Amino acid sequence: MTSGVDRLSERTASRRSRVGWWARPDFAVPAVLLAPSIVLLLVVIALPMVQAIQYSMTDGSLLKPGDFIGFDNYIELAKSRAFWNSLRFSLIFAVGNIVGCYVLGLGLALLLQQDFPFRGVIRVLLLLPWIVPSLVAVASWRFMLDDRDAFFNQLIMMFGGDPIYFLTHNDWTIAVVVVIKIWRSFPFMMLSLLAALQSIDRSLYEAAEVDGATKWQAFWYITMPQIANISIVLCLLMTIWTVNDFDTPWLLSQGGPAQATENLVVLAYRFTFAKNDVGAGSAISLTTLIILMAIFLVILRLRKT
Amino acid sequence: MILISAWKRGIAALGLIALGTAASAQERVEIDFWDMVWGPAVYSEVGARLVDEFNTSQDRITVTYRPIAWTNWYETYLTAIASGSAPDLSTGAGFQAVQLYDQGAIRPVDDLIEKLRANGTLDDFGSVALEAAQFDGHYVGLPWAMAARAWFYRKDLLAEAGIEPPETWEEMRTAAKAVTNGDIYGLVIPGDTAGMHHIFATTINNGGGLFDEDRKPAMTSQRNVEALEFLAGFAEDGSLHPASVGLSYGDARSAMQRGQAAFILAQPNFIDEAGDAGEDIGLLPPPKGYHGDIGTVFWSLQLMVYEQTEHPEETLEFLEWWSGNMEPLFSEGLARVVPARISHQQAPYTAGNENIQKVLDLYVPNARIIGAQAPGTFPELNEIEGDGFLVSIIQRVMQGEDPAKLAEEVQEHLEEVMN
Repeated sequence: MTSGVDRLSERTASRRSRVGWWARPDFAVPAVLLAPSIVLLLVVIALPMVQAIQYSMTDGSLLKPGDFIGFDNYIELAKSRAFWNSLRFSLIFAVGNIVGCYVLGLGLALLLQQDFPFRGVIRVLLLLPWIVPSLVAVASWRFMLDDRDAFFNQLIMMFGGDPIYFLTHNDWTIAVVVVIKIWRSFPFMMLSLLAALQSIDRSLYEAAEVDGATKWQAFWYITMPQIANISIVLCLLMTIWTVNDFDTPWLLSQGGPAQATENLVVLAYRFTFAKNDVGAGSAISLTTLIILMAIFLVILRLRKT
Repeated sequence: MILISAWKRGIAALGLIALGTAASAQERVEIDFWDMVWGPAVYSEVGARLVDEFNTSQDRITVTYRPIAWTNWYETYLTAIASGSAPDLSTGAGFQAVQLYDQGAIRPVDDLIEKLRANGTLDDFGSVALEAAQFDGHYVGLPWAMAARAWFYRKDLLAEAGIEPPETWEEMRTAAKAVTNGDIYGLVIPGDTAGMHHIFATTINNGGGLFDEDRKPAMTSQRNVEALEFLAGFAEDGSLHPASVGLSYGDARSAMQRGQAAFILAQPNFIDEAGDAGEDIGLLPPPKGYHGDIGTVFWSLQLMVYEQTEHPEETLEFLEWWSGNMEPLFSEGLARVVPARISHQQAPYTAGNENIQKVLDLYVPNARIIGAQAPGTFPELNEIEGDGFLVSIIQRVMQGEDPAKLAEEVQEHLEEVMN
């Protein structure tokens, strides 16, 4: 009996040794199943990435292929005032939006957790800024802000104030772009945090109440640690979406006035299409990617430690 | 038997019809024509109607008319060419043909020009327009219109302030200050590309220009700095509409039509487009700059044929027809440009339009392209006009930044583009 089993395993081992590792079922089956996805990823992600790296090292335009110039585009970028200006605005935009929409989203999520009349209707209404197409949303904001007769100035003047020309002064325009982004982003934050809040074990709060914890202590020592992981993921997602947001600054002010709201994506667009300099545009895009990846790595490393 | 025979005859007849249809479909060549929106909504309707007229006038070519919005126009063409889906024929910005030709995307229309020369039609085109269509020894497009900028003023606001229409820049600033009161301001400048036209128009008006005669950037010349100072002066005086930086051209035009600004730099048919408000608006004779010069900016606009066209002969045939039959674009479509063909200028609409004639008589003779004072046209002008840098400069002028410092930045930018 034992010898029969041994012979069988010997035969199997000998067959395995004859068949290449790539043809073994434990490799071949998963490989065949994964192949379409891998091919798709290569075509959709790797190919454009390689092409972007290649473009960033040439001096061509969209219509004329250029020559290889090494890292010249990156060096020029580092010397360019426009790049540092857009990096600065991208940081203000990202930090402003993440802080703003997290605070607003969390506040509203905590509120919506309570039981009160018309809660369902209010939830749906609060989702509207997220649902409305960006073109409609930003154009409407622009309409409410752009002149003395616009809605917000009418409101300010009704209370005796002087009109503010929001799209004329750099600081005001930056503030408005951030506020509109917060307005467009908070529903997603609110919805995700609401789901996280509802999954917290109620017994933790009951135990804290028995121990005499205040509402603030319960929030700080139970709620926040329980939603910490989802909060980090949400903030990372929001960072990517904000840094890559083209619609808000472009539709509101086309990156102006005086390039005050020109973020890295708008700058890459301007170089690629308005200046027809694909090399510089690609270099800006790849630099943006590197910056985002660095932020990711730092946050994940901090989270681990 | 009779039934079968009828059935067979029916099949045969259908087959013949199908073959006939296929044959006639094969015979008609498809041409894509992209036309920028050169006027109010009615402009594109008139354009589409003219194309229909051409399509029904013959049975070999079918032209598809596609109006193209000005928003992101440059990207629209670049991406279309780069992806191999360029039109056969298009209108476009003032220096689009020359730049795209330089990039290998435009097919010169020398053959058509020769044909027009041979049959005497070429004499119908203004020499300035024809000269602007030449680059590298070729005609890169066929001129169809000229765009120029002229100053307009509110007659009622100046009358209320007891001021005559100004004749010089100094008088203009004084008038602007005098009418400024409450929510009425002297001047409105849009913060978009139309705002950038003020840099071109005023530098030329003051005897300067972005370039010198050797095609070298000359923005830091005294004349050019003075031009920026002139514009900055309105902001300094408080007579510039305070929302200007954030206004689009449409917003600025509305402000002028509502009587919230006394002066605007606009296209020749600005008054016609203003409707009833046009009665209160007048064309200002070209104001003299600080040294007594007059002048403004103009663009010679061309119809251009793309290298990607598979039907160059048919495209040229349509182009010739379009060029000769486009007059309704001006008279009915209210195009914001002036016809390039003399016969169209002499047609009842343009010839009978006092304001357009004044622009042609007073402004156009002293108008220069944005490459002034350099002679001829060159590809870099398209980037200078389209890359958005000068838009940010006019915004900063209006925000009160030092004109001399801004002129230096423009100079650096021009040098970078030219290199």
